[in-house]
Amino acid sequence: MRTLAALILGVGFCQRVTNLIADEPKAGEPSSAQSSPLVRGAEEFKILTGDMGMRPGAPPSVHPSHKLKLLWHGRVYEFFRNDALDAIPHQVKQNGQTKSPLRRNQFGFSVAGPVLIPHVIRNPHSTFFMLSYEGVREEAFQASLHTIPTAPERLGDFSQTVDPAGHPLPIYDPTTTVPNPDYNPNVPVSTSNLQYLRSTFPGNIIPANRLDSSAEQALSFYPEPNAHVGPFFQNNYFVNSGQLDDADGFITRLDHTFNPRNELTGHANVSNGLLAPAPYFPNAASPTPPPQHFSNWLSGLDYTFTPDPSTVNTIGLTVASNVVRASFGSSSPFPNYDMQGEYLSMGVAYPTSRNARNTIELSEGLSIHKGKHSFDLSLHENQYQVNTFDPVYPSGYFQFSPGLTSLPGIIDTGDPFASMVLGLPQYAQKSITTSPSYFRDSYQSVAISDQYQLSKNLMLNFGLDLSRRSPRVEKYNRLSTVDPLIYDPLANHMGGLAFAGRNGIPRGLRPANTDLDPSVGLAWNPLGHSNTVVRASFSRYHSMIPIYDGQWGTQGFNAQQTFFSANTQLSPALNLATGLPPYTVPLPDFSPSAAENTTADFVDLSGKEPVFRSVLFTVQRDFPFSLVITGGAEYRDGHDILVGDGAANPNAINPIYLSYGDALYNQAFRETLQPYPQYLGFSLYGLYAAGAYQRTEEYIQVQKQESHGLLLTATYEHSRQLDDYSNPYGNQYLLNLRQNWSLSSYNPPQFIQLSYTYNLPFGPNQPLLHFSGVGGSLASGWSLYGTAYWNGGTPLSMHPEFNNTGEVIPSLYVNVVPDVNPRVPHRGPSLWFNPAAFIQPPNFTLGDGTATQSNLLGPGYNTLALSVSKRLPIGGSRVLEFSATAFNLINHGNWNTPDTGIGSAAAPNVNAGHIIGSYGGRVVQLELDIDF
Amino acid sequence: MSRPFWIFLAFVFAFTSLARAQTRSITVPVWVESDHCGGPPKFQATVNGSRVPVKSALGPSSDQIILVVLDLTSSLTLIDPAKQALISQISKLPPNTWVGLLHAQDGLHVLTDPGANSKPAIAAIRALSNSGQPGLLGTVTSALSLADGVARKSPVRVSVLYVTDGSIYSYPEDYTNPVINQSDPYDLSRAFPDALINDKISRLIRSASSLEAPLFVVQLAFRQDGLSEAYQSGLKTLARATGGASMIAQSEAGIPDLISQMFSRISDTWLLTLELPPKVHKDIRIHVDVPCREGSPRVFWRAHFQLREG
Repeated sequence: MRTLAALILGVGFCQRVTNLIADEPKAGEPSSAQSSPLVRGAEEFKILTGDMGMRPGAPPSVHPSHKLKLLWHGRVYEFFRNDALDAIPHQVKQNGQTKSPLRRNQFGFSVAGPVLIPHVIRNPHSTFFMLSYEGVREEAFQASLHTIPTAPERLGDFSQTVDPAGHPLPIYDPTTTVPNPDYNPNVPVSTSNLQYLRSTFPGNIIPANRLDSSAEQALSFYPEPNAHVGPFFQNNYFVNSGQLDDADGFITRLDHTFNPRNELTGHANVSNGLLAPAPYFPNAASPTPPPQHFSNWLSGLDYTFTPDPSTVNTIGLTVASNVVRASFGSSSPFPNYDMQGEYLSMGVAYPTSRNARNTIELSEGLSIHKGKHSFDLSLHENQYQVNTFDPVYPSGYFQFSPGLTSLPGIIDTGDPFASMVLGLPQYAQKSITTSPSYFRDSYQSVAISDQYQLSKNLMLNFGLDLSRRSPRVEKYNRLSTVDPLIYDPLANHMGGLAFAGRNGIPRGLRPANTDLDPSVGLAWNPLGHSNTVVRASFSRYHSMIPIYDGQWGTQGFNAQQTFFSANTQLSPALNLATGLPPYTVPLPDFSPSAAENTTADFVDLSGKEPVFRSVLFTVQRDFPFSLVITGGAEYRDGHDILVGDGAANPNAINPIYLSYGDALYNQAFRETLQPYPQYLGFSLYGLYAAGAYQRTEEYIQVQKQESHGLLLTATYEHSRQLDDYSNPYGNQYLLNLRQNWSLSSYNPPQFIQLSYTYNLPFGPNQPLLHFSGVGGSLASGWSLYGTAYWNGGTPLSMHPEFNNTGEVIPSLYVNVVPDVNPRVPHRGPSLWFNPAAFIQPPNFTLGDGTATQSNLLGPGYNTLALSVSKRLPIGGSRVLEFSATAFNLINHGNWNTPDTGIGSAAAPNVNAGHIIGSYGGRVVQLELDIDF
Repeated sequence: MSRPFWIFLAFVFAFTSLARAQTRSITVPVWVESDHCGGPPKFQATVNGSRVPVKSALGPSSDQIILVVLDLTSSLTLIDPAKQALISQISKLPPNTWVGLLHAQDGLHVLTDPGANSKPAIAAIRALSNSGQPGLLGTVTSALSLADGVARKSPVRVSVLYVTDGSIYSYPEDYTNPVINQSDPYDLSRAFPDALINDKISRLIRSASSLEAPLFVVQLAFRQDGLSEAYQSGLKTLARATGGASMIAQSEAGIPDLISQMFSRISDTWLLTLELPPKVHKDIRIHVDVPCREGSPRVFWRAHFQLREG
C-alpha cells in the first residue's frame, strides 16, 4: 500500500502518505484508534527510530552515498586585511608617515563527517573524520623609533654631540693618557683628583686618519638618520618595514568506534612556513633576527577502553617534531657591533641556526567510580629531544663602551660610538662551534586523586603526584659546566670545568629530581542548593627545567674565543682593524681550564627546581535574570624560579668591594674579588633556579548568561605581585636576589575586561524588523561581538643614566630623594612623574631605591574591539557569513612608557618623566565564510 | 471518466485536505513559573499579533513521553551523580509519564523504548558507560525530529531531555578554531573564536524552527573559559527557542537537585494547541498570556515557529 501510494502521489506526498498509512493496524494488532495515546506514541517512536537508523540492526533510511553528502559539514573561509581599511598607526603618523602597508590573506577550509567505504566501513556512526587547512600570506609593516649615530659622528665629528642634559659631551683621546702625578689615592677620583690625565680631541673631532678602517667599512651599512624626535640627537631613526609570514598547515583527525567499549582516535597536524621579522636596516647588518623557515608535525593515537560503566581506561601516544632553520642566506653573517647605551647595534646574535625539537609522550589514565569515591590514576612518560646547531657569534661580537674615550673615572664623558670609530672594543668574542648538540631529557609521573562526596552538599578532592624529571643529557656526552667542586690547576682555584660522563661525573651533570606534590580542594553548597558554590583549593607542583635551543653548556667541545680589556677605561680588548686572530686550541679540550677567561656556562648543580604553590578561594552565586557572580581571592607564590644573567650571577663581586673605587676598572684586580676569578663571568641561559615571586589577587566576575540574545561577561581584578627577578633593566643585587624584592614590572595591579555577544533581535522571529521574505532574510542573522579592556598601567622602573661602579654592578637602581613627591598633580605626556624625586647614585655606590616604584605606575592600556557579522542562509544547511571586525575601534593611541632614565645633578636627563608618542591604531578585518 | 478515477481523485483530495488541516494548528509548550491565580491557568494566545483560540491545553497531569538522551563522555565524578539522579527521578514518575532512553555517542541510538515499565530504562542507565565524544550538537536535530514525529501522531506531551557533560573542546567537529600555523598564534582571525559556536547554534535553531517538541538540557559541568561560556549559552538559546530550558550544574553536588528541578519543569510544562488563522505567514510569532486578578504570573513559551513548506 505504501509503495502504491507513493507511486501514485509522487515524491512530494510520499512522506505524508507513509506517515498516515503507518497508522494502519496490522493483522492481530489492536487498532491505533483503540490504543491509548501513550501506546500510540511509543509505537510511533519504534517506527521512527527504525526508519532513522537508531535501532540496532535498523537499515539506513537513505542511500549511503546520499547520507554521506548530508552528514559532511564544514566551512570555507577567507580573512582579509589591508592597510586601505586601517587607520594609520599613531606611531607612524607621529613620524610624518602616511602609510603602513599591510597585505594579509588568511584562507582555509574545515570539513568533518562520517567515513563510509563500500564493503569496508558501512556504519555511518563508526568512523568520523575532520580535516582543516589554513594558509596565510602576510606582509605587515612594523614601525619603531631608534637612535643611530649622526652623519658627522660617523666621520668622527662629535662637536655637536651632547649628554642627556644637552651639555657638550667631551670625547677624549685614549692615546694621550698619562698617570696624574698629583693623584691622591686616598681620595675618590674626581675632576679635581684625576688618576689619569687625558686630552680631548681638538674641537671634539677625531682626525680622519685616526678612524678605524674596519669600523668605517661596517658603518657603510648604517642607514642615514631620518627623524628628529629628540631630545637632541636621540630618536633620529624611524623604521617602518615589512614582516613576512607565509604558512600552510593541516589538522586532521580520525575517530573510530569498534564498539561502545573500544574507541580509537588518531590525529595529525602538519605546518610549514616562513617567518621573516621586519628588518631595521635594508641590508645584512640589520640587528633583527634572521628569517625562519619552520616545519612542524604532530601525530597521535588515543585508545579508550570502557570495561564497565564505572571504569574508563585511556592510553595515548603523541609524537611531535618542530624544526626551525634560521639564516640570512649568507655563509658569513654580519658581525655584531654593540654600542652600550642608546645606539642601535649592528648585526645580531644567532644569525644562523638549525633547531629541531622532538617529543614523544605516552600516557595512561584510569578512572574508577565506586560509591562516593571517584578515583583517578594517571601515568605519563615523556621523552624530549632538542637537536641544535646554534652558534651565538659565528662572525664575532664587538662591544664598545664610553670608557676608552672618557676621562677615566669621570661620568658623562666619552661615547661608545666614538670608541667604535676608533676601533677600540672593550670586549670581543667569537663562537667556535664544531658540531650540533643532541640534548635529551625525560619526565615520568604517577598521579592519583580521589573525589569524595562527603555529604550531599560537600565534595572533597585529594591528589598526589609523584614525578621524576631527568636532567638534560647529550647523546654523545658533549656536555660540561663550571663545577664548584672541581679543582682548576691552571687557575689554582676551585671551579674547574666538569664533563658529563667523565671522572665519575653523571651524564646529566646533576641528579634527577623526584618530587611528591599534594593537592586538596573542596566544593561546597553552603546554603543547601546549587545556586551558591564555595570552592577552595591548595596545590603545589614542581616545574621541569626546560631545554632551550642553543648549545649552552658545551664548552670544551665548542669554544668562545674571548678578548677583553685589562681596564675598560685605558686599553681595548683588541684593535678592530687587526680583527680576530684564528682559534688554535684543538677541540675537544677536556681540561678543567678549558673555559678560563671566558664568560663560562654555569649549569646549576644544586638540584633545585621551580616550585609553585597556590591557594584559591571562590564564591559563585546564581542570581535572577541569568546572572552569575563570582568573587575570588588567590594567593600564589614560587621559589627557585628560573632566572637569567640580568637577575643573578653566582660569580658576581660582592657590592661591599665597591669601596675599592676606581681600582675596580682594573680587570686583573677585579677578578681577584670574584668567587671564581678564572672566569670573566657566568652565563646562566635563563636556567638558574634562584628567583621568587608572590602574588595576591582579588577579583569579581559578573556574567550575564545568554538571555534576549545577549551574553556578557565583566571582570575586575586587583592584584599585587612582587618578585626579585623581573626588573627590565636588570638586578642591582646579583648574589642575594631577595634584596631586589619589589613589584613585578609587568603586572598591572588593576584591570577591567568586558566581553559580550549580542544576537540582534531583528528578523521574522524577533521583536524588531520582523519582515518576511527578502526583507526578513536581510534583517535576521546579525550578531555583534565585542571586547573592551583597560588596565591602569604597570609599575615604573627607574634607572640611572650613568654607571660608574668599575664594571662591578651591571644594573644600578636610583637613589630616592627624601621628601620629594614622585607624583605630579596633572600627569600627562609632557610630565608623567617628578624626576626630581630620584637622583643618580654617587660613584661606586648602590642606589637606595627599589627595582620598581611601588607608588608610580606607567600609562594604562586600553582597547576596544567590535565585530559585526551577518549570516545568510543560502539553501539547505548552507550559510554565507560576512563579518567585519574593528580592533581598536575608536583608534585610540596608548601612550608609550615615560623615559625613566635619571641623570646626575650635573647632567640631568632632560627627557626624564616625558613620554614620546603613542602607539596603536584601528585595524579592520573582513571575513567571508561559507558553512555547509 | 471511469468511476475508479473519481474515487482516486476523491482519495487525493481527502488526503491533501487532511494534510492542510493538520497544519492549521500548532502546539506550543508553555511553562507558568508560579501558579498564584488558583485553579488551572486560563491561557490566551496570539499568532502574529492576532488572537487565536486555544483548542486544547495538556497540563501537568496529562500523558507525557520524555525522550531522555544521555550524552555522557567525561568524568565519572559528574556522570555517577547524574545517573543516580536520573534513576531516582524516573523511578518517581507517574504511570502516565513514559521515558524513552537514547544515547548520543556516534549518532543517536535507542537504549530503551518508552513504556509503562521504567525498569528497563533504569537498568540501561546503570549499564551505560561514558565513552566517545560529545554528541549533542550532532544529534539534537534528529532527537527533536523524532519527538516531533511522535508528537504529531499522539496527543501527548513529548519532550527531549539531554543530560550532557560534553565539552566544546571534545567534539569530533572543530568548533574551537585551533591555531593551525604556529607562526601565527595570536592572529586576529581568532579574536572572537566563539563565532563558530554561535553559527552552529544558529543553524540548529533554524533546523528546529519547524519541529514542535521542546528541548531541555541539563549541563553537568559549568566551565568558565570563553568558548565554554559560548557553548553553554548557546545551548540555553537553543533550548529556549524550542520552548524548553537549559540548566547548568555549578558543582558536582548540585547535579541531583538540578536534574530534579528539570524533571519538575518538564512535568509542569503545558502543551497548548493553537488554531491558526486561515491565512498565516509561515513565520509564526506566538504570544501567550495567563491573565488573572492577582497579576499575571511569569510565563515562558515558545515564541517562534516556522510552518513547514507544503
